[in-house]
Amino acid sequence: MMNFWYIFPALVMMSAFLGGWESYVALTDASPLVLPAPSDVLNGLRVERSEIGRHALATLGVAGVGFSLSVIFAFAVSIVLHFSGWLRRGLLPLLIASQTVPIVALAPLMVLWFGFGLLPKVLLVILVTFFPMVISLMSGYASLPRAFRDQLVSLGATRWVVFRRATLPSARAQFFAGLRISATYAIVATIFAEYAGARRGLGIYILSAKNNFRADLVLSAVLVSAGLTLALLAAIHGIERATSRRYRRVSDA
Amino acid sequence: MLEVQGLTIRAGTTTLVEDLSLDLAQGRLTCLIGPSGYGKSSVVKWLSGVLAPELQAEGTAIVDGRSAALPHRDIAYQAQQDTLFPWLTICENARLGLEVGGMDRRAANDRVRGLFPAFGLQGHEDSFPDQLSGGMRQRAAFLRTIVQEARVLLLDEPFSALDAVTRLRMQDWLIDRLAERPRAVLMVTHDLYEATQMADRVLVMAGGPGRIVAEISITTPRADRTEATLAEIRSALKSMLLEETP
Repeated sequence: MMNFWYIFPALVMMSAFLGGWESYVALTDASPLVLPAPSDVLNGLRVERSEIGRHALATLGVAGVGFSLSVIFAFAVSIVLHFSGWLRRGLLPLLIASQTVPIVALAPLMVLWFGFGLLPKVLLVILVTFFPMVISLMSGYASLPRAFRDQLVSLGATRWVVFRRATLPSARAQFFAGLRISATYAIVATIFAEYAGARRGLGIYILSAKNNFRADLVLSAVLVSAGLTLALLAAIHGIERATSRRYRRVSDA
Repeated sequence: MLEVQGLTIRAGTTTLVEDLSLDLAQGRLTCLIGPSGYGKSSVVKWLSGVLAPELQAEGTAIVDGRSAALPHRDIAYQAQQDTLFPWLTICENARLGLEVGGMDRRAANDRVRGLFPAFGLQGHEDSFPDQLSGGMRQRAAFLRTIVQEARVLLLDEPFSALDAVTRLRMQDWLIDRLAERPRAVLMVTHDLYEATQMADRVLVMAGGPGRIVAEISITTPRADRTEATLAEIRSALKSMLLEETP
């Protein structure tokens, strides 16, 4: 159980923020079309919960598939780059360049190229999320102490055995750091992709709520997407803790 | 057993070690002594097949009369730092060499666990390295090195990270372990007390570029080695080291 006094400041700040917002709307009589109060947002969420839930599920599905493939892809790429200096020098600039492309511009093109199905959205999620993982993995691989490598080589280990026995385990902490960064992008990237064209998903829900001048519902959906991201982060945290009794020692050391 | 002929190690245009030759015999402990930076570690690393990639070496290693490729199965290396992997238990660390050498995990496990009492590590098979004291970690590292049954052991300043008391205990302890299973041992150290206490023979290395300038056999039985009986050798070694160090 988390210490109450540890999270107390966060609760105070959050209450102050929401309370201030609610009072501002009440005092200035702001139009709900422009600035709905937090209570309106919650009310919208309550009324529309089954509709939003259905869209959220679609978003979660796409993000889940995209993110999982992205993790696999990131591992594959990082291993290839680790073992081939030639490919590392050749591909790294390309990978970095891929991160400079604004997704806003790319999302509609993806739809144009690959249609309204799963593929363009998954590709976009991969494009956005794999890079932090690749970079974290690579820096994790580089963090292997030379003496550890030497120990294995002197035992007659091949490059692959060194990688599997020492390099990969020592990259674990950095991998999870990269995974957490990527996870925060996964849901947002999915929503972006859906925004550009989809039949279901929070992105398309937000778009239509906006077109109907329902700012409250836009924010309700945003709230749900934040919840999804936090849930994803919590799941990753859980996996890391559950599997890492021995590995925590590495980062604590 | 093991012979090194004409070993020269260069870093670009600088020569670190020049035309060094030495031989190691079964059951004998040879100490390579000299100030830091004279290439002692590089010699041992070269013999272990892990010389830093920025260094170039030429020379021949001969095992049982035949020229050998490095790293070699019969040569075990223990690094200066304690290189137990923090994410493996002591038992997993200790059997790492056997597993890398292709031994089945269960067989490796049995072989390693049988040695835990002799290494003063019983009850710590499933501990992690950070739960052990410095001396215990060092014994675990020795366990990993010795269990490989290699006939040559290369030890690079194995006690340098230990406190003085633990160091003295570990020196005696290692001598006992080696008496049980005689090997050819090359131990690098910069501590002449340690060298004279443990070695059958001391090779003195001097710098600029690194070479062996003296070879001193110590015939006093280990049980009789005291400040008094070693005084002469120690003072000779001391003046030699001071002379060779600019």
